[in-house]
Amino acid sequence: MTSGQWWIVALSEQLAPGKTLAAVCNGRQLALFRNSAGEAFALEDRCPHRRVPLSPGQVRYDGLQCPYHGWTFDGASGRCTDIPNLRRDEKIPPAAVAAYPVAELNGFIHVLAGEGEGEGATLPGAAYRAGGREYTGTAVVGLGFGHYLDLMLDGPQCLLGFPGVAVTDFFMGDPRLDDGYLVLDRGAVWAGKGIGPAFVRDHPLLLRTRVPLAGGNITAELLDADEQPLVTVFIAAGANLRGTTSLAWRGFAHARAAGGPLGWRLRRLAGRAPFSVTQAIDARAVALVEAAPSRERSGAAARTIPIVSISAAAGCNGARAQQENVP
Amino acid sequence: MNIDDKAARFAAPDPKHDWIPGNLDLRDTWFPMAYSADVKAHPVRRIVHAQDVYLWREGGRVRAAEFRPGAAGAMRSRPTAFTGGSGHYPAHERYGYVWVWYGNPDHAHEELIPRIPFLPADGTRIPRYTQRSVRFDAASPLSVENLIDLTHADFLHANTIGDGQSESDVVEFSSTSETLTRTRIVTRKSVAPVMRWIGGVRAQYQDLRAVLHVHLRNNLCISYPSFEPGYAIPNVQPFVPVGRHRSRVDQTNYTVHAPAPFRWLMPRISYVIQPQDNSVLRPQNARYFEANQRRDLSSRFDAPGNRYRVLMARLAQRQREGDFSYGADADPAADISQLLGMKA
Repeated sequence: MTSGQWWIVALSEQLAPGKTLAAVCNGRQLALFRNSAGEAFALEDRCPHRRVPLSPGQVRYDGLQCPYHGWTFDGASGRCTDIPNLRRDEKIPPAAVAAYPVAELNGFIHVLAGEGEGEGATLPGAAYRAGGREYTGTAVVGLGFGHYLDLMLDGPQCLLGFPGVAVTDFFMGDPRLDDGYLVLDRGAVWAGKGIGPAFVRDHPLLLRTRVPLAGGNITAELLDADEQPLVTVFIAAGANLRGTTSLAWRGFAHARAAGGPLGWRLRRLAGRAPFSVTQAIDARAVALVEAAPSRERSGAAARTIPIVSISAAAGCNGARAQQENVP
Repeated sequence: MNIDDKAARFAAPDPKHDWIPGNLDLRDTWFPMAYSADVKAHPVRRIVHAQDVYLWREGGRVRAAEFRPGAAGAMRSRPTAFTGGSGHYPAHERYGYVWVWYGNPDHAHEELIPRIPFLPADGTRIPRYTQRSVRFDAASPLSVENLIDLTHADFLHANTIGDGQSESDVVEFSSTSETLTRTRIVTRKSVAPVMRWIGGVRAQYQDLRAVLHVHLRNNLCISYPSFEPGYAIPNVQPFVPVGRHRSRVDQTNYTVHAPAPFRWLMPRISYVIQPQDNSVLRPQNARYFEANQRRDLSSRFDAPGNRYRVLMARLAQRQREGDFSYGADADPAADISQLLGMKA
């Protein structure tokens, strides 16, 4: 998995044939465009001629044309293919704009940014497969990328919601590392039922968040008590400019979501989205969330080192290592 | 040892560093993971030290496993040494709880289940109204230290438990390598509002003898507060460490000998107390993970709590060195009726 290089930058449906789209990929400004054959490309959003953004340009048969002086750049190589008004005997200078490999999968446009080979790598979007009617969206939120990932562990209820469901602040254990992701469950209840989420004997619902150690693809799942998924939300996050974060998401309700309380069922029948991704984040609420499980991700806490495993005492293998913070 | 013992005043586990309660992960102990009545054929999931424990019944017998029964493939986690590679934890039922062994399963002996002298061992005749589950936003040892702490209640819970006004308030404590016992003897304290208004104690003042017996490894807190005039409200608070930041407590407030309606309402006081505690515990727990933390200050009232820190640190150190045994001075199953001050 090299999602640290491959980033989701947009939803496929955001980029129609013959159109362009300005995007930010892990802090880099990109001009995305799709040719008439449906192939998507990503160029640095900066004309090497006079530094004008390319994204407001026109898509031509031979690439993307700058809106300022009409220089045109090939989508795959970034090479300049045309400069208007050059005489026929004049050569096009070897100008080029940075071009990035693009791949599309499961409704997401991916861009390979940074160093490293992308061939053979699993695309982040491979972790998502729609299993029902999809609900999608994009946003730029006023929270830094790292904080966004941290908050998805410490207080995901600030970042997304499930209408008819109250997500609690009681998380189950500590985040567990699973294939490059920190996975954490927290209790949830049907809203408006019972004495309140703090006092239920066993939570009827769980919110499971998978937060990457590298890259920005987050999965949030609403599960029933048997840990079977009711709703899946895949959120692709990436650093935007000025401490903001770009989001693009897809999600759906599973067949099991047809059950539940009456209000929940009616929402499903009415075709209402089973989840919402918060676009206007409540900064006051965010500031009140204590850093807890995110310490595992950010390494802000003291480093942990294994000191002794139970196997040393128990004489068997496969045990967890005891951990202790070392000041 | 009396709380006025100066030697214990600033006792701390380490002269250089403070404790980090969320990092204590003590092994080879029984945890009361669930009320027996809550475990039926359909599995329930509980967590101890961030490790899954699934509980269910087969033919009336309780089972405890690392994985959800019926789970296959990737859903079935690899069994660890905590179950000897079998996936199944040792489990027993006693005092209305399902006890699950956390540690080396070869060391799981039934006689290491702590004695709770005021509860029927077979769990029968324990009414459901005495059992209430609460969750705390802190590591278990921090919650236990707060329970040992006597002075916070006067501020945080004054409206329910009562203020700290009394004629005399003496605190004593003793310990073994596995337990800490704190006794508070208060004379002529103002009657707790909850006891006055629904407990039938109309007097203005009452005496209190409250004994708290803490088992260190599993954070099991056995309390026997006895009021005069009034009655005893024995209770068990097992702080099961869910992880480094959260704990779960399946309380038993054994109020069967108190008058009605107090006996039914008193266990529900946790619905008031728990949010009050969590308002403090959540930020408090987070601050123990700060880098470059400053050491806690203490007053003489913190002597039992500081002793608790020392004992926990010693136990952790022993386990770090591979010694998981129980010391000669420790017998979890010892009869503590006398220690608690239970009347024959």
